[in-house]
Amino acid sequence: METNNTLVGEPVLPTIPGAEFPIYNHPPVSPHPVFKTDRVQTIDIIRGVALLGILMMNIPIFSSDYSRIDAILRGPHNTTDFITIQTVEAFFGGTMRALFSMLFGAGMILFTISKKETHGGVTVAEYYYRRLLLLVLFGVINAYVFLWEGDILYYYGLCGMLLYPFRKAGAKWLFVLGILCIGIGHLKGMLQYNDLREKRAAYVSAIATEKNKKKLTDKEQEAKGTWLEIEKNQKPDTFRTNRNIREMQGSYPTVFSHLLHRNSDSETWGMYHGMWDMISMMFIGMALFVLGFFSNKLSGSTYRMTLLLGYGLGIPIGWIFFKEGYVGSLELGRYVDAWRVPHWALYDLRRFLLAVGHASVILLIYRSGAIKWLMKALANVGQMAFTNYLMQSIICTIFFFGYGFNYYNKLPYHRIYFVVAAIWVFQIIFSVIWLHYFRFGPFEWVWRSLTYWKKQPMKISKNEMTI
Amino acid sequence: MAYSLSDPELTDGLKSQEDLKSTPVKTTLRIESLDILRGIALLGALLISIWTFGGFSQNMQTKLLLHPSGGNYRLFAAVSLLFEGKMRAIIALVFGAVMVINFSKANTINALSNADVSIRRFMWLIAFGLLNAFLFLWTNDILFHLGVTGILLFAFVRMKARGLLIAALLTTLIYCGKNYWRYQDDNTTYKKYLSVVAIEKSFKKDSTDLLTKNKKKEPLVKPTATRASTLKKDSSAQKKDTLTRQQQEDKSAWEGLVKNMKYDSTADARQAKQMREGAYGTLWNTILPEAQWREAGWTYRTGIWDLASMMFLGMALFKLDFFTGRFSNSRYLTIALITITAGLLLGWYRLYFHNAMLLDYAKFIKRYPIPHNLFFPLERVFLACGYAALIIFLLRIKLLKGLFSALADTGKMALTNYLVQSIFFTLFFTGFGMTNFGKLEQHELYLLVAEVWMVQVIFSTLWMRFYYYGPFEWLWRYLIYGKAFPNKKTVSATPEPAIAAII
Repeated sequence: METNNTLVGEPVLPTIPGAEFPIYNHPPVSPHPVFKTDRVQTIDIIRGVALLGILMMNIPIFSSDYSRIDAILRGPHNTTDFITIQTVEAFFGGTMRALFSMLFGAGMILFTISKKETHGGVTVAEYYYRRLLLLVLFGVINAYVFLWEGDILYYYGLCGMLLYPFRKAGAKWLFVLGILCIGIGHLKGMLQYNDLREKRAAYVSAIATEKNKKKLTDKEQEAKGTWLEIEKNQKPDTFRTNRNIREMQGSYPTVFSHLLHRNSDSETWGMYHGMWDMISMMFIGMALFVLGFFSNKLSGSTYRMTLLLGYGLGIPIGWIFFKEGYVGSLELGRYVDAWRVPHWALYDLRRFLLAVGHASVILLIYRSGAIKWLMKALANVGQMAFTNYLMQSIICTIFFFGYGFNYYNKLPYHRIYFVVAAIWVFQIIFSVIWLHYFRFGPFEWVWRSLTYWKKQPMKISKNEMTI
Repeated sequence: MAYSLSDPELTDGLKSQEDLKSTPVKTTLRIESLDILRGIALLGALLISIWTFGGFSQNMQTKLLLHPSGGNYRLFAAVSLLFEGKMRAIIALVFGAVMVINFSKANTINALSNADVSIRRFMWLIAFGLLNAFLFLWTNDILFHLGVTGILLFAFVRMKARGLLIAALLTTLIYCGKNYWRYQDDNTTYKKYLSVVAIEKSFKKDSTDLLTKNKKKEPLVKPTATRASTLKKDSSAQKKDTLTRQQQEDKSAWEGLVKNMKYDSTADARQAKQMREGAYGTLWNTILPEAQWREAGWTYRTGIWDLASMMFLGMALFKLDFFTGRFSNSRYLTIALITITAGLLLGWYRLYFHNAMLLDYAKFIKRYPIPHNLFFPLERVFLACGYAALIIFLLRIKLLKGLFSALADTGKMALTNYLVQSIFFTLFFTGFGMTNFGKLEQHELYLLVAEVWMVQVIFSTLWMRFYYYGPFEWLWRYLIYGKAFPNKKTVSATPEPAIAAII
């Protein structure tokens, strides 16, 4: 049927393998959660990989004070620890969050389009906004109860609320919106960097005056102090480090109050200034979904090309980004003197390319039919991504923080990735077993039941299992 | 068959549904109470906004509160008591009611579903708020927050009145709780300060003892060495005679807190200079942190609870037909008298203890378990509801008909009037325009407000005589629907009250 939605461009309905997933042929029943048969398996697989991958990026924050990372980066470049950081940051840094955001955008279209509305019944919009409000609430719980300061659910819930009017927009518009959002983020970043450069320039000229044995004016004195303060705050300081480690190794109330202000600050300012990071990738993910990228609709040669382009450009850029930007900016003064534009300007291009590369690899493996068992297991992980995400918070906080097993800042740095591997294995096995018996992950079940305000069927009946 | 929300079939179907508590707008009068309330709140809010616009700063208010007597103080106290927070509360109250109307009204335009229209309304309102803050330079803009809160509460439009009342109560309690917890934080800071001061005293005693005992026996530990060792194991270093860095931080935390509450005789001149000087760009840089704090910090700490509680209440009251004549005239009057009395009592309590707090915060914290503003959320609920009931009562006994119709016109083009206020005052007060910041006395500011009221009411009446929507309202609708609606009223055409009133 024609739609007359002219404001957001040509309405393009996503094309999904029609025979397997008869999304548009539902009988007009009241809305219900997306059941197993409706799901697009490749999306679940990629989400599963992203979910597991995100732990790689999060584990340093769960496990270590920043001073350790700083020390490793400043140390010799051939240690296991340094190579670990290098590999993770150059190849995966930011990409897993990017993939997650992209699939969140895609999931938004899937959710709104797959629901049938009945006359006078609850509208899709209401379900959608209930669902997101609950996500915000879960994010708050993840931050303030499970004490995970790097929570993203809160941000995803809020950013997702801005996507709804664009659910029928065409791929071109969505790309434009995504790039626009990246642009806003970068504009903010550039303003900040220019401010930093100005402060540095004032400091340098004050130092030059001092060298000429002239007396500094009040203004120059202030400029000098300002820059030295910036440099001081950038470096780890013994007092703050000790306090952080001591309190993270403390009891639950200690850790809670230690993280209280960090949590509220990031939910306030991280959201206000940092939302572009996520919403840009959500739009781009919606665009890619509309094009059929995530649902395995494109040809094999297309995926080979996206792989080549993604990795071919992404890896060198990522390498330069890590070497020059990530490590280089440790010597902040020298870095600011040397670069008019920071490497950070490459951040989103880099992670977009690498994320597309990662997704292409997964899709190509899926199409080749190799390691089917693993693909199925990863699809299960992705299907209960919400549970698995919260479970990572619960496991890691209990393992590392003082009120649990108290391993905070104690393992040699590269060994935290042994913990990651162990959690991966556990989550894969857990997801496979759980979904053998149940329709949804436990937290998914709670989330859905609250969204539809009705207890959802949980167990898979015997008949279904035999099918 | 591809399914779309904008199917005409479906949107027509929304008309007939029962469980939506569908209340299509039947008469002009029913909505008029909302328009009038919005008009009054829009104008009344200016009495508070002018403090920030014109430079009647927090610091000056502190000065008045420290010496609570004299005409200037009484004027300030009266305005604070009657208007501060209450006008914003009424705006949110009306906003909540309109959310329900817009969602459940019969869809006559059919281009978009009601849900889509609602969400786009909120998102464009956020955009107007950003414009108001970062182009018109109004730091205390409220449009941004109304849009954000509207989106957050969209999921509740269908809820029944009872649930909405419970939600309003809960959010109000959280708001009170936030005020309480912030006070408890201060209390903790003070306790830490006290313990540091006690340690400091013992140092003095120790060192005098040491000096008398060990005179010339052995030199005291060098302060630099002490400092280095404290950095290594700072809590165990208490025995040494310098404060650890943690203790220093604890001490200065409280000292800074108290300093910020004190009256600063130079602050106002400094601020006035900043606001009066310079071009648009300089001014923009000056207000940037404040505007951003308002949008992020204030929203997270206070704004969301402040607005959500009143919006929930507005949704509930609308569903209970409060705005459309559920009660008898005398019942409305009774409600008004009771709630206004309660609100004023709570407001008096707040002002009284605010004075005590400013005089000596340490003493205040030691003495009182609750902060002065604990009941502010209730004060504002009571007064806002009281005012609403009073106005509905006056409307029903058909008093001041001409004035109310003019105020309804003002409320119908509230967005335009609100933005015009920002434009006018930025030009009137700042260095970018006529540099009057900080030059007017408090009562002169209120006189200026009265002038603006007069102009806006007359302008609105005239405008609404010829047009369906105010200029910014028209733009808003254009952005929502992507379609230019005819705005000029022709003589023969019947007015379109329902739609004109809602937007």
